[in-house]
Amino acid sequence: MSLDLMRDVAKPILAGFGITAQRLKKKKVTISYPDERREQYQRTRWRHYLVRYESGLEKCIGCSLCAGACPARCIYVEADENTDQERYSPGERYAKRYEINMLRCIFCGYCQEACPTGAIVLRQNFELANYERKDFIYTKEMLLEKVPGEADECYNRVPTIR
Amino acid sequence: MHGHKTFDSSALPRALTERPRILVQPLESMAAVAETRLVTITINDVELQVPKGELIVESVKRLGLEIPIFCYHARMKPVGMCRMCLVEVGFKQPDGSVRKMPKPQAGCTLPADNNMVIYTDTEMVHRDRKGVLEFLLVNHPLDCPICDRGGECPLQNNTIFYGPSTTRFTELKRHLPKAYPLSQYVTLDLERCIQCGRCVRFTEEISGDAQLAFRFRGSNMQPSTFQLLDFDSKFSGNVIEICPVGALTSAKYRFRARPWDLETSPFNCLECSNHCSVWFDHRAGKFVRMNGRTNEAVNEEWTCDKGKFGQDWINDSNRSVKVMVRKGDAFAESTWSEAYDQIIAAFSGGHCAALIGGKQSNESLFLLGKLFRDGFKSNHLDSRWTRHLTDDALKLAPDTIASLEHKKTILILGTSLADELPMVFLRARKAWFKNGTQVLNVTAKANEADAFATQSLRYDEDHEADVVAGIRLALEGAADDAFALVARRAQVSAADFRAIAKELGPDTAIITSRSIFNVGDAGDVLDGLQAIARKTGCTFNCYAVNGNDAGAEALGLIGGQGSLNTREILEACVNYRVKALWLFDCNPFDLYPDHHLVNDALESVAFLVVQGSNSSSLTPYASVVLPSAAPAEQDGSYVNMEGRLQRGKGMLQAPGDAKPSWRIFSELLLRTAGGTPYFNPSEILQAIGQEVPSFAGVGDGELLKSAVAGGVTA
Ligand code: SF4
Ligand code: SF4
Ligand code: SF4
Ligand code: FES
Repeated sequence: MSLDLMRDVAKPILAGFGITAQRLKKKKVTISYPDERREQYQRTRWRHYLVRYESGLEKCIGCSLCAGACPARCIYVEADENTDQERYSPGERYAKRYEINMLRCIFCGYCQEACPTGAIVLRQNFELANYERKDFIYTKEMLLEKVPGEADECYNRVPTIR
Repeated sequence: MHGHKTFDSSALPRALTERPRILVQPLESMAAVAETRLVTITINDVELQVPKGELIVESVKRLGLEIPIFCYHARMKPVGMCRMCLVEVGFKQPDGSVRKMPKPQAGCTLPADNNMVIYTDTEMVHRDRKGVLEFLLVNHPLDCPICDRGGECPLQNNTIFYGPSTTRFTELKRHLPKAYPLSQYVTLDLERCIQCGRCVRFTEEISGDAQLAFRFRGSNMQPSTFQLLDFDSKFSGNVIEICPVGALTSAKYRFRARPWDLETSPFNCLECSNHCSVWFDHRAGKFVRMNGRTNEAVNEEWTCDKGKFGQDWINDSNRSVKVMVRKGDAFAESTWSEAYDQIIAAFSGGHCAALIGGKQSNESLFLLGKLFRDGFKSNHLDSRWTRHLTDDALKLAPDTIASLEHKKTILILGTSLADELPMVFLRARKAWFKNGTQVLNVTAKANEADAFATQSLRYDEDHEADVVAGIRLALEGAADDAFALVARRAQVSAADFRAIAKELGPDTAIITSRSIFNVGDAGDVLDGLQAIARKTGCTFNCYAVNGNDAGAEALGLIGGQGSLNTREILEACVNYRVKALWLFDCNPFDLYPDHHLVNDALESVAFLVVQGSNSSSLTPYASVVLPSAAPAEQDGSYVNMEGRLQRGKGMLQAPGDAKPSWRIFSELLLRTAGGTPYFNPSEILQAIGQEVPSFAGVGDGELLKSAVAGGVTA
């Protein structure tokens, strides 16, 4: 009886602990998100940014090519004309309104590929969860870099782990 | 492939070998078809028969092939300026062999002749096309992402299909002014111009205002207006559509959208009575632009500027969107049912009338008529706003727009055609340009038709009746002194009258418009013109000018036993005989010449319904304001000035509470006269067909029965 108990209960438990003990030797693969964040691959495609030139002018010229390329039809661009008093981008045309519906975006990156000026880029920020549907409509103000180079900061950051 | 000299046509699909026999009739739009004798030519080893002299660029279409083009346009003379259409040409020798020409030729200037052999698909042709495109792109900027033509640009398309994939040109490109405003509508980007001359030829051959011309030579050649004045034309919008690059773009459409952002729907322009077929482009529920749609019977493919650039009101922030009802001195938002209750209380009993604006569908007009007759027991409706209102002589329009092309003589009397009937103007000009029709332009003021008229006759304003009387005298062969009175009053000499009268004959069309009712003695003018028509055997057309006026008349809404006309209705409002007035999408202050009468009438009438799509200055007078949908926001059919019924499908959402007018009338009809309500416009059109004989069985794009087909000649 006690032998049976030994075989059926205690031994598997000990074997289980054994596996755990063996794993202790190995390096941990989980991280304690959100205190730590894993480094993303260089070409990971998540959150979009509209980037600026060094001079601060917007690269986007409001050409809608990204909207045309988007298979999810989730980009809306409304263009307008630059004036010398009010200049947003070099040249004649700029995007007055630029919106991406992040709920519909499939993060394929076609927009980035279609863009003739390299204005729209997908970067590594994957934390896009939100509470309201309407908050997933990213407006031009949300997408546009505050300062030139902001979108690329993710490449310079020292990752928290590995 | 072009090596085969003995081509076995049995190897081809039947349709392809049979085609030439089916399609030998000359195409209507073809330029330079001199005669219809058939010749045998060979295109890419397929033998076919075509009319002698047909341009090769057209002949290849019979085989379903296409030659890339830029400067060629089927409605204008070929000029061979761009060299995009190069083909290899040879001639069949008596021994059956083909002797090829050493150099390629331009297919757009090459008339078909017997034994001609054409190759559109050889090594040489491909190389030449690449070369031509490389040259064109030497000076063309890489503007595509910000160019309004990008996405629907023939230069882009031809480059993708036939052009080189890279450039070898590393030198500096030509730099020229960008976004130069040629006029308030047309913007010119000189860098993008490929010097095809289409725009210049349009103003010379089609619109006839000859506003554009080329300056300078070689790569510096620029299309421009004379002395850089404004591009002053009533048809300038068309050059935007025919420019094969983005050199000429619309100032109003500038940067509004890219072609792939747009949805498009077929529609008919209602800015005047011609009802041009158009493409109505919209984006996110807003109207964006209007382009011509091919309809050989009406506008061919053109539009006028009034229509093309006159649609902004649809997007107006000033649209009427709420039902409003007067409560004491204040005006408050209300519901349809409350408004209906008040309207029914005020309109029942018959002392009521309605005045109608231009752009109403047949369906709305028909139900309005029914509502007034059956619901309100009144038949006081009018849509005419001219000074004189006679009930006769309205249905006189025997000539369709297209039939004017084949007249020997066209007499224009008292109307500036380019302003009032733009498509009739273009046809009259085409008739002169292509078929040598002589045009007699008899108007008080100089206008565009003078440019091609064989005779232009000016007279003292408001004396049309005397002019007509003078022509009649001349026809009767009266002696000089018989002309004394009319000649003095109209300031026209007897000789001039005779010169006009001499040209009138059975092959003549007399054209005047409903605005003739604005001049003194309009009745005499019409009677006189009809008498002239009877005497000379010519046709007499008094075309409707505004929106769907022809439809309102065809429906029998206007005139009739004991009904009041516009002036009488306004007067009846002043002396309280009309107690309730319905203004249906019209502003009498804009439309009626006598503003005092309008003001008095609107102030005196006890109950005023202002129904329409744009809120207007009339609101202070109103008892009830009803918002209604614009034509693009509802289905409906319309009748143009030649009596052509055309159906339109709404594609936009009406703003706010606005409803289609026919629905408003249908709901009121249900509440007053009872019966089965109408649920959609096609049902109403069916009912119209049953009740109004001229509409019976008339399909989309067909002529109404009484209007023209029967040929109501005077
Ligand atoms: S990543 Fe793809 S789906 Fe998302 S916006 Fe860009 S093109 Fe559209
Ligand atoms: S992001 Fe690029 S492709 Fe999209 S509108 Fe701006 S410039 Fe054009
Ligand atoms: S502006 Fe356009 S239509 Fe005119 S010549 Fe230049 S390319 Fe041709
Ligand atoms: S299309 Fe023939 S030369 Fe331009």
